[in-house]
Parts: sequence; structure tokens; C-alpha cells
Amino acid sequence: MDESELIKGIQQGDNKVFRVLVETYQRMVVNTCFGIVHSTADAEDLAQDVFLEIFRTAGSFRGDSKISTWLYRIATNRSLNFVRNKKRKGFFQSLEETFTGGKNRNSEISENRSDQPDQNITDQQRSDLLHRAIDQLPEKQRIAFTLNKYEELPYQQIAEVMEISLASVESLIHRAKKNLQEQLLDCYKKKCV
Amino acid sequence: MKHKCIHKDLIFYLDNELSEEKRTAVEKHLEECADCRSFLVFLKDEMQIIEKEKNPEASPFFYTRLSARLDERPQFKQQGLWVRFAQPAFFSVMLIAGIYGGLRLGSNASSGMINPEPTSTIQLMNDFENEPIESFLLNEL
Ligand SMILES: [Zn+2]
Repeated sequence: MDESELIKGIQQGDNKVFRVLVETYQRMVVNTCFGIVHSTADAEDLAQDVFLEIFRTAGSFRGDSKISTWLYRIATNRSLNFVRNKKRKGFFQSLEETFTGGKNRNSEISENRSDQPDQNITDQQRSDLLHRAIDQLPEKQRIAFTLNKYEELPYQQIAEVMEISLASVESLIHRAKKNLQEQLLDCYKKKCV
Repeated sequence: MKHKCIHKDLIFYLDNELSEEKRTAVEKHLEECADCRSFLVFLKDEMQIIEKEKNPEASPFFYTRLSARLDERPQFKQQGLWVRFAQPAFFSVMLIAGIYGGLRLGSNASSGMINPEPTSTIQLMNDFENEPIESFLLNEL
């Protein structure tokens, strides 16, 4: 089944075609969301939202870009929104903590960690540090970096997803790496892991 | 340490993005500098995390869950429609009834209320004074 057949089927509300689409792109969408939210459970929930949105809005798909480009765009937008909301919630939670003495935060951290229960502590610390460093990146750098590192997309396709020039992608990824390195060096010097 | 360290080039060194000339310089520096070598290992381990964690194993029930959500959508929409019309209608009726009742009460008060009973209000106030809020709170504790 080629792309135009997939789109046509979904536009007609054909569940079988939708299933083919989901099975074809599921790994890709979950992995992209994961690169931004760093949790398998959250990434899967977001990926479900992405596919529901595709099913709902297929009628407006113009077909001038690839399905994957369309999916990447929705996946990164939704993941960034998710992280923003979580940050906001975290802010209010920390406010609440200052008043209540704070029991809630620990439960949230352990919930995040339960994703990979068998990893040893140093690996967990390493990935926590990397995730924190990625989260510190400005949003555009984060998207470009994630698509490049987690999805191994070539710069040209990242430019299409983000609707920016190739030169901008190069610059975003260069700055993302520089920023990450700076943060990791900072941590290395302070021996924070 | 005598030299200018090359920490800032290492992420690009790892990704093979340095010019030939710079790459040679970095490698020469690494031979001499234990600190930069150690940071390179640290950085490499960190970036390796991405390779380890990417493409997480997806749940086998992904589509089952998704199709369940797909099925519940129309029902949800219907419910939304019902709530959207019924709720304002209900509140409008309540509002009109309230205004009408208020008007009736108002006209009764102006025409019919000749002998109000002020004593009952005073009694209520006195009760309240008998139990000051401080003692109430203290009793609670
Ligand atoms: Zn050095």
C-alpha cells in the first residue's frame, strides 16, 4: 500500500487502512516522542494522541509532504506541549511542597524511573543527566537534535518537518551539541554524577 | 596544565564533524592530556545513552488501546452535544424561575409585610455572641 492509498483510506475512515498506518509508523512516532519526554509510557500515550489526530484531520492533509513528515510535526508539537504542561505542573507542585512539606515529588520521580527497573544506578544517573541537559535546550534545538539523534533523520528532512532552511537546521544542531557539551562539562567538572 | 584544553571540540570529534586539521590537533592533544581524555570518555558514555534508549520496545497492545479510543470518540461527541444544549437550557430555566420568584417575593414584601419580627434576628445575633470564634477554635484543638 503506497502513501496515497493510505491517505485515501484514512480519509474515508477505513479502520483497516488506519491499522496499517499505525503499524507502519508506530515505532517512529513513539521513538520521536520518547526523545523529548524520556518516558516510554508517556511517549506511547502521546503517540496514541498523534494517531487519533491523524485519523481526525486526515481530510485536511494536502499530500504535498510525506506522511512521516506530517507525523513528525504532530509528534514533536504534542511532546513539547506535554513537557511544557509538566513543567507548569512541576512549578505548582513545588509551590505546594513549600507549604505542605512535600511528599508528592518523590512519588513522581520513582514513577518516571519505573520505566527501566533493572538498570543499575550509574546508567540511570547518566541518563537522568542527559535528559536534564536535553530538557535545557531551547525548543527548536531540542526538536532538531531529537530528530537527528533519536530518529537519525538527515538534515534535509528535519528542515521539511520544521519548515525551516537547511542552514537553520545545521545551525540549530550545532548549537544544540555545543549547549549539551557545555552542560555535561559543567557537570563533569563538579563531579555531579 | 600548560595548554588550552579542547573540551569544546570533543562532541564534534565524537560525531566526526571536525576538519582534518582540527581532528589531528585534537588527537595530539588527547595523547598529552589526561583530563581531556577523561572528559571524552564521560561525554562518550553520555551520548551512548541515546543509542541504548532509543527505539523503546513498544507495547503489543498499542493498536488495541488505540482502536478502543477510536471507538469511544463518536459516543463522546454525542454526549458532548447533549451536554452542550441541555446544560444551558437547564440553567436558563433556573435563572428565569429565580428572577420570577424574586419579583414575586419583592412585591409581596412591599405590599403584605406589615409586622416583621425583629426579635428573631437579634436572638440569632446573640447566640453568635455567646460563642466567640476564638473559643470555638480552641475547642477544636
Ligand atoms: Zn586538555
